[in-house]
Amino acid sequence: MGYFEGFGVTLKKWGEGVTTKEYRGGRTNRKGEISSKDQKAPKPERVHGRHVLNKYEDGMEKCIGCELCAGVCPANCIYVRGKDNPVDDPKSPGERFGYVYEINYLRCIHCDMCVEACPTEAITESKLFEFSFTNRSDAIYTKDELLVDDKGMPQHLPWEDWRPGEDQHTSGWMRATAPSGKASYLGTGWSGELGYGVREGDLPQDEKDASVRDHVTVDEHDDHGDHH
Amino acid sequence: MTATENTEPESPEVDPGVPFTLNGVELHANEGELLISAAERHGVHIPHFCYHPRMTPVGMCRMCLVEVDGGRGPSLQPSCMLPVTPNMIVNTESEPTTKAQDGVLELLLINHPLDCPVCDKGGECPLQDNAYAFGPGESRFVEEKRHYEKPIPISDLVYLDRERCILCDRCTRFADEVAGDPLIHFIDRGSQTQVNTFPEHEFSSYFSGNTVQICPVGALTAQPYRFAARPWDLSETESTSMVDSTGARVALHSSQNRLVRIQGVDSEATNWGWLSDKERFIYEATDSPDRITEPLVRDGSGEPVRTRWNSAIKKAVEALTTASDPRRIGVIGGARLTLESQYAWAKLLKGLGAIDNIDAQLGDGLPADVVMGLPKATIASACAPGGVVVLLGADPKEELPTLYLRLRHAVQSDGVSLIEMSPRQTSFGASVAARLNPLPGSAGQIASALADGMVGTSIGGISSGELTTAHELLTSDRPVTIIVGRGNLAESADVVVSAIAALRRLVPNATFLTALRRGNIHGALEMGLTPGYLPGGRPLGTALAGWEMAPPSAGLDAEGILRAAAQGSLDTLVLLGADPLRDFPDHTLAAAAFERVGTVISIDSFLTASTDRADVILPAAMFGEVDGTFMNLEGRISPVQAKVTSPGQAWPDWMIAAEFAQAAGGDLGFGTLAEVRADISASVPAFADVDWETEGASSDGSVVETGGSIELSLTETAPIPPADDYGLRLVVDRKLWDNGTMISSSASLGDLVDDAVLTLAPADLERLGGQSGQEAQVSIAGGDSHPIVVKADGRIRPGVAHIPFGVNGVQAQELLTAGEPVVDVRVQV
Repeated sequence: MGYFEGFGVTLKKWGEGVTTKEYRGGRTNRKGEISSKDQKAPKPERVHGRHVLNKYEDGMEKCIGCELCAGVCPANCIYVRGKDNPVDDPKSPGERFGYVYEINYLRCIHCDMCVEACPTEAITESKLFEFSFTNRSDAIYTKDELLVDDKGMPQHLPWEDWRPGEDQHTSGWMRATAPSGKASYLGTGWSGELGYGVREGDLPQDEKDASVRDHVTVDEHDDHGDHH
Repeated sequence: MTATENTEPESPEVDPGVPFTLNGVELHANEGELLISAAERHGVHIPHFCYHPRMTPVGMCRMCLVEVDGGRGPSLQPSCMLPVTPNMIVNTESEPTTKAQDGVLELLLINHPLDCPVCDKGGECPLQDNAYAFGPGESRFVEEKRHYEKPIPISDLVYLDRERCILCDRCTRFADEVAGDPLIHFIDRGSQTQVNTFPEHEFSSYFSGNTVQICPVGALTAQPYRFAARPWDLSETESTSMVDSTGARVALHSSQNRLVRIQGVDSEATNWGWLSDKERFIYEATDSPDRITEPLVRDGSGEPVRTRWNSAIKKAVEALTTASDPRRIGVIGGARLTLESQYAWAKLLKGLGAIDNIDAQLGDGLPADVVMGLPKATIASACAPGGVVVLLGADPKEELPTLYLRLRHAVQSDGVSLIEMSPRQTSFGASVAARLNPLPGSAGQIASALADGMVGTSIGGISSGELTTAHELLTSDRPVTIIVGRGNLAESADVVVSAIAALRRLVPNATFLTALRRGNIHGALEMGLTPGYLPGGRPLGTALAGWEMAPPSAGLDAEGILRAAAQGSLDTLVLLGADPLRDFPDHTLAAAAFERVGTVISIDSFLTASTDRADVILPAAMFGEVDGTFMNLEGRISPVQAKVTSPGQAWPDWMIAAEFAQAAGGDLGFGTLAEVRADISASVPAFADVDWETEGASSDGSVVETGGSIELSLTETAPIPPADDYGLRLVVDRKLWDNGTMISSSASLGDLVDDAVLTLAPADLERLGGQSGQEAQVSIAGGDSHPIVVKADGRIRPGVAHIPFGVNGVQAQELLTAGEPVVDVRVQV
């Protein structure tokens, strides 16, 4: 009877000990390609992991609470509320800052569209996906947990499996908001890895014009090119 | 049409209008119609920023340039300034047109900052939309943009960010042309041109929020909405404002189950898209910490204790059913409720409880038969070009601001003549045709003189010239609308009634707007929340199924109820969202009533002075949280929609009434909103044909014939006590910003309430030997004297002292005595 077979499985596994205590490596590990047992498998360069909220070098938050990430999120997992920056103790440059910032990792599908939507590089993703939680409130990361520390590095939360050096390897940020959608326009397609504001500043105007002339090629569709 | 074609008999052919060609299609425009609106009507959208259909076109932004050939070859012309002329050829898609649009947008974006992510308008911004749809996509401008100090508050409610301004003249035009508060204007020249306030004068207009709504960029933002949400996560429902009895149409915007914004909806019948700041920002009250969220019952120690609904209702019903006589129960309030809730409460109290001591007005309105029985005008008929309007009531700018905007437009632009019979000069200023500001108590006398044609001499300080002008206007064949209300709470309503009687004798065809300020007061009277009437204005005794228990004789009004309570002959007082301790225009009487009354049951959304005295407090859901119907001062019904859920355990009022009935062992016969509506349709003939489900399809709602068959017999002889020689006759009226429950509970509005100031005519202040701005003592005969700042004001007629009601400082209700025809005060400097 199927009814008792179920109990059979339980009895058979009785006493075998807990098998899910630690991370045992990915698929490659199981194939025996990596010698050490407790080692993470290498990930592709642009893998999307747990988010971080970045700061500028002076400690200001990059997030301005514009809610574009929440608006673009296909899983509706981001909740942002903006607020007037306190004049005497501004949290971010400008008049608005992200007052509430929450990501629900029970819903997040790590599509990275929030990162693309962000106009200030405030949200980027690390490559960490080895994190699990046992209750819903841990799964909802608040702004305090997402913000990088004073060194610009992600915080290591108790239920996350960070290995030394891992927080250096994080995905970059691509400018998706360049005029006409041409990443080449400003000459700064990619930023560096996460952390402080390491993106090269915009080029001086004459160089920029030169780069535009170089980059805007004739075969690209340009509706209004004839006006210039 | 030539003679040869005209062989058939004359047919009532509709004039097709002015023929013109739009993008190759032959169309017709109305006579004098602007090209931009004719195109819009035919489905061709011409981008624009400065053009607004409710304001004079100015052609500031040049965005609406289109290629027009009026017969002398094609040229670019602003379509908002150009009436369609016969055989005009218009092309909105030609090469020159798109090039002009590119150019205008590139020019506008030279100095417009690209801070859309932090801008409140980002996502619903016409500049954004037009730049995407019609713009060049790139800019050749490489220099530094113009910088100004980031937002500067130009009033307590509105912030101005001049960097974002594109100088479209919409806000400044609105302030000057529509609101009549020209407090913002362009300053400086050239590239430094900016909108700003005048030095030392902030943009303190009652209508300032409209400029935020019509700003085509994020230059003007509303302080209460600042950074509260983004347009794409707002959800929207159209509803009707219950703030005052104009019934402006609004759109409620919520985010995360919180009301965050109210926008005006352009209803041709009522508000034309405009709102007062009170209607616009009052949503903040829904989040107030003063909200009642759970039923409370006062225990032995006098502290309100949280309890469950059924035990609270049991206690309330006990207090109602154990009263020895239904005449020992009084009910005050109900104007805050929806029509359905008003009907449910009226049916519970009258139909089941045999109680008729019910009054939705707090001694500050007009007799119910007058309100229901007068032939009604509509706002549109009152404002129709060429009419005459008599203003026999308060300044509508203070009490019914959106009605004021309509009337102001009629007077300024449509040739409507205004006869002012308010106790003091109103905000219409110099545009009134005849100014008859009667001394308190003498409005009836002035009106009788007009009716008798005795205008040759001055009467009661009003010159023969003004009287003659008014008489000529009223006896011309122009349609007359009389706006009646209580312009002076220190004067008995009988004075207004006698003036109405006299004016009706002079102009039998006059129609009336009853300008009572309380939200759904007209619905409350119509549904029977007034002594002596069943729903539909039918007198007690009319046979009505389900209302068999209704008492045979009329009960007491609010004043009578409070008097009975003060004499100890009232066991139970029910408050339906009313706060008589703060709101009744005779504080002494209200305080005495609460001192001696037995049980007080309060059904309210907020903790107020009166709920502090209540024994049972039941939480009611408020505007924005309930579905229902609203009736405005024209008798126009339009739907009220819920947008957010009510906090805690608050219920809609009609549901509370149904629970009361059940707890008392009765049955009101309805358990859903649809059943309440069906019951109203069945019991009130005027509502028999109302299709409740489709009422919301049009923003205009529909006018219901109200008042049943009340036969009005008004008396013209109100007693006129002689004016006291040394005293001044008191005028007490409302201001928009007062310490009302809703305003006090709104975070941004509570601070706008002024301090009480006593204003009087310059000659009177001089006679008293006082100076503007100094403190004086004001007292009534035999009463305490109250310190108050006095000011001279040329708009106050001699012999009158004016104090606003319900503001900070001296409480005018402490000077008032209910039932007195007029109140004389003594001012000592």
